[in-house]
Formats: sequence, C-alpha cells, structure tokens
Amino acid sequence: MSFSPFSQILVFLALIFTVFAFGRKLKIYAQLARPVDRAKPKGDLQKGVLYAYTLGMAPWSKESTRLHALAYLRGVAFHVGIFLGLAILVASPWLGEMPQYVRNILGFVIAAGALLGLLGFVARFLEHNLKALSNADDYFAVLIVGLFLAAEALWLFFPAARVLFYLVSAAMLVYAPLGKIRHCIYFAYSRLFYGRFIGSRAVLPHSQQSAR
Amino acid sequence: MTTTKIDTALNLLNQQLNQPLTAALEVCARCGICAEACHYYVAEPKVEHIPAARAESLRKVYRSEHDLLSRLFPSWTGAERLTEEKLAEWADIAFNKCTLCYRCTINCPMGLDTPLLMTSLRAIATATGNAPEVLEMLADAAIEKGKDPEIYLGFYKESIKDMEVELQELTGNPDASIPLQKQGAKKLYVALAGAHTILPVAAIFESVGEDWTLSIFEAANYGIFLGDASRAKAIARRIVDEAKSLGVEEIVISECGHAYYVMRWVAPNWFGDEFTFRVRSIVEVLAEYVQDGKLKLDPSANSEPITYHDSCNLGRKGGILAEPRVVLQAVTNDFRELTPNREEAYCCGGGAGLVALPEAYDLRMMAGKPKADQVKRSGAQVVVAACENCRLQLGDLSGYYGLGIGVTALTDLVVKAMRLPGNQKTVEHIMTLETVNSGEHDNAEVWGSTDLVSLPSTKGDRSEPKSNV
Repeated sequence: MSFSPFSQILVFLALIFTVFAFGRKLKIYAQLARPVDRAKPKGDLQKGVLYAYTLGMAPWSKESTRLHALAYLRGVAFHVGIFLGLAILVASPWLGEMPQYVRNILGFVIAAGALLGLLGFVARFLEHNLKALSNADDYFAVLIVGLFLAAEALWLFFPAARVLFYLVSAAMLVYAPLGKIRHCIYFAYSRLFYGRFIGSRAVLPHSQQSAR
Repeated sequence: MTTTKIDTALNLLNQQLNQPLTAALEVCARCGICAEACHYYVAEPKVEHIPAARAESLRKVYRSEHDLLSRLFPSWTGAERLTEEKLAEWADIAFNKCTLCYRCTINCPMGLDTPLLMTSLRAIATATGNAPEVLEMLADAAIEKGKDPEIYLGFYKESIKDMEVELQELTGNPDASIPLQKQGAKKLYVALAGAHTILPVAAIFESVGEDWTLSIFEAANYGIFLGDASRAKAIARRIVDEAKSLGVEEIVISECGHAYYVMRWVAPNWFGDEFTFRVRSIVEVLAEYVQDGKLKLDPSANSEPITYHDSCNLGRKGGILAEPRVVLQAVTNDFRELTPNREEAYCCGGGAGLVALPEAYDLRMMAGKPKADQVKRSGAQVVVAACENCRLQLGDLSGYYGLGIGVTALTDLVVKAMRLPGNQKTVEHIMTLETVNSGEHDNAEVWGSTDLVSLPSTKGDRSEPKSNV
C-alpha cells in the first residue's frame, strides 16, 4: 500500500481544518468590539498605518531591533521562509512538473528558513531571558514549523520525500490554530492598531510639526 | 469571598475583551526583544522586568479561560487559573511595575500594546479592591468636589484675587487679572493645584492679550490611573460641563501629561458630540505664540545648560514632540537633547500615578535610574519637563542620585525669558522647584492638594501643600 495518496488526503484535510479553524477564530474576533477613536487626529492616521506595515518594521526603525538586529533579522527571514513554504505546500501538487534546478533553488531558500527556525529553537534553550519567557508551546511551535520547512526542503531536493513532507505539513497545519502559531492571524490587527495610534497622534512618522 | 473577587475579576476581563485587547493578549511571540525598552529592565535587568513577562501573568489566566489547548493541557501553554494571590500579583505588576509609558509598544515588532494589558489589570485591581488606596482617595475627592463646586468657589475666588496681586507685580500691569468663569472666553485654561501652574500662564496670556478664563477645577485625573473609566469620566465631566457652559472654543491643559492625555485622547470617546471644543496642551499654545512671534523672548535670560525630558503622555502617547523644542529654542541659547529622546525617550520612572504612592519611593528611584543617567550625561543644569508628575520624579531623582540639577516647567522658562518687570517671582518659582529636588517632600501630599481652596498662597511653595480634605 502506498502512503502517497493517504498523505495527500491527510494534508488536504489538515489544510481544510486549519482554514476552517482560523476562519472561525477570525469570525469570533471580528465580532468583538473595535473601539472607535473619536478624538480629532493630530497627525495622519493612514501614514501611521502605512508606516507600521512598512518602514516601522525595518530593523533600524526602533531601538529594540537595532540592539537585537541579528535575532530580529533571523526571525524575519524565518517568517518569510514560512510564508514561502506555505505557498509551495499549496502549489505542491503542480510543482512536480517544475525543472529540478528551480526546485533546488526553492529548496535552498526553504532550507535556510528551516535552519533559522531551528536556530531560534536552540536560542530559546540557551538565551536566559528567552528561556525564562518560554513554555512548551513556544518550543514546540518553532520546532514543528522548522521541521515543516526542513521536510519541504528535503522534498524539493528529493521528490521521493513527498510522504514525509505531507505528514509533517499535516501535523504543523493541525497544530497551527491550537497553539502559539496562531499569533500570525493577530499580527495584522496588532500592527493596524499600533499604526492608527502613532498616526493619529502624530508620534510616527515625523510628518507634521505644527503647533496648530 | 475569595470566589466573588475572582468572579468579579474574570467577568471584568471578559467585558474588556475587545479587538485591541484580544490582539494584545494573543499576538506575543515571547521573543523578549522588548526587554531593553523598559526602564525597569534597563535599571535592573531581571526577567520580571521584561514587559512580555509582566503581561504573561495576565495571558496565563486568559489562556486558561479562552484557549482549548490550555484548558486541556494547562502546563503545555503555562496556563494558570486565577487565584487571590494572582490578583495581588496583578495589582503589584500593574501599579508598581509599569508606568504605562508605551515604550515597549513602539519597540515591539508586533506593535503589541502592553500598556493596554496593564490598564486592564489596573481596572481589575480597582474592581477587586486591590488598587492603591491613595489613588482611590484622590479620585473620589475630585469627584466629590465636582458635585457641588459652589461650596468651594468663594474660597477659590479669594485665592485667585491674592494671586492677581502677584500677577500685577510680575507683569507690571495694575490691570492684569485672572478671569474666572468668563462667559464666551476663547480658552478655558485648566491648571493643577498650586499657583505655580497658574501664575506663569496668566502672565503669558496677559502678555499676548489672550481671551481666556481659568477653570475652577483641577486638571489631574486619578481615575485614569486606576483604570477606572467611570471615575475618570466623572472627573473629566466637570471640565467638559464647565467648557460647555462657558461656550469656550478650546480647553488648554496645564503642563500635566496624564491630564492632557485624558482630555485630548480619551475623553472625546466618552462624551462624543458634547465635545464641541478642541483640547490642547499649554505647550502647543506656547509653541504657536512663538511661531507667530507673539512673545518677545530673550534666550540669554536662561543661561544655564538646559535639557528637556519628554513626558510619555505628552510625547510618545500624545505627539507633542516638536512643540516643546520650538519653545526651548526660543528661550535658551544652550539647549541640549537627552539621548535617546522624543518617542524613544525613557520614562522618568514615576509615571501613571507611581509618584503619588509614598511606598513606591525606592522602586521609582530604581526605575528612574536610566533617566538620571541620561540627565547626567547631558551635562545640563536644568531639566525642563512639561509634566508635574515628571517634575516631581526628576526632583526626587536629582536628590537621590546627587544630580544637582534644577527642575522646572516650560512656562517658567518662558516667563523668565519674557523679562517681565517682576521677574524675580519667576526665579522664586524655579527655586521652589529646586527645593522639591531635595527629595524630602511627600509627593502624595503634593498630589493630594487637589482642592480648589488650598492653593498655596501664590508663593508656589509646593513642598508644604495644605489640604481641606
């Protein structure tokens, strides 16, 4: 008996579960009140939001990321790898027709993401503050995502690893809405609220300087 | 009894769960990158001073209530049930270990609003009887006075009349006055308790011919420190009603960070369409006067090296970053910045009501160390802060760390640079602030002088405030 069709069905079901679970969370979240700020803005709200999603994420834009530039860039690259990895997973039924050299290029990028994720896992063990802040969910979340990227890279290099890739992907997808990985769906909201705050109050970007 | 408190806390937490609060509870990746953003951590690098660690105390309970995985396997996510001990821990964290300065938020890659979480904890602590008594007393006293201001008005008018004599000496104008309850005035100026926040501003308004009136209420709002919207609203209501009844165009708030923050950014959400006037800080008004050339200022009048401390409520949370610098450039030739400054400035360590808690003295001296170090590095002899709270803390820091600095308000420097005939009075005000630097005063007492009748008799002696409470 081949595991390939089984693993394909499994990952498909896992994907449906994840989409449904995240969708439900977002639906519940959307039903929560969103306070309307009736204070007259001092600055430009839109500029603040734009800044929060763009330059405000740049490593030089804030003290914390300047101090921890390497850790921050590692985290950013890891997350870029995750989103690319998810896109590849969704497109994977059709990727078999791609030339191997393209698969190799993608494989190197995803492998780099996996390596950075696993470095993050190790850092949680070794760095004093990170270790103190972490719970089992934190370790497992970064581990399962790192393994997902590693399995995907392996499959990109060696198509025969498809079953392993799909099994690990299914595990990651099922865990995503349950554990810490779900923070991804709140990220956009958090940055939005932050952008509105700094924009309306003219804190950042430094656009208006008038006293009026 | 215990169950009731816990139920109250959980109910309140659930009531508060809106989109911003839920995002703040869910989005933290526990990367710990916020550590050095907190002045507590910079002063004392302990895990408990990392903003993410503080907020985790609330998140653990949130997860145990709202997360399936945490309910099934609490140890996996570190979820914890709420206990009375935890409630006490929350009160300590929210009131003593966080000054709601927002510095962690601007440094968080997620933009996570930890002060929002801490405000939620303050509300829970207040609702469950765990809030500092001093803050509750001060808030309730302010509300009580607002119920029937007529009782105090006569005494207040007498105090203002005495102050007018000083104003006339200061300005050299025998007709100078401090208008009270002036119908149709353009500006309603809301001061803090004490002549030091009225006299310099009155002199400035007199000099530019401003159409203004003085509020019969005090700007401070202790309700906001408690995270108690109903108390905070009741305190703000007094000023809103006064502004409406006088038909003013704008409310101008004294040099006070939290009072500005409440009236400018929070109160419009409480009062909606009733908010027909705009709200500005006196700092913004001063900058406008300077930019319009309405004030004749001699920068050589302030010859000492001067630096500026950005109050969190005015700067990082209020966007008043350029305006104080516009004024400072006009009133001194030796202005030097602290590093970091503006939105990256460190909190003074006494914010969000901490400076009013006598038992928090050691804690805020510890938390204020980064600010003290900044001031020392700047080489400034005078630190300007446009916030009463910050000035009290900076004065204490000066005494504690032997900085030997003077701490003053922006308006005092402006009046000094105006070279008024009775300018010696202004010098006295600054000297008074320097006496505060000794650290021998009781800030709770200073903050406690919120009454209308006990304005220190125009000598600006804030070190011995009287109280009619």
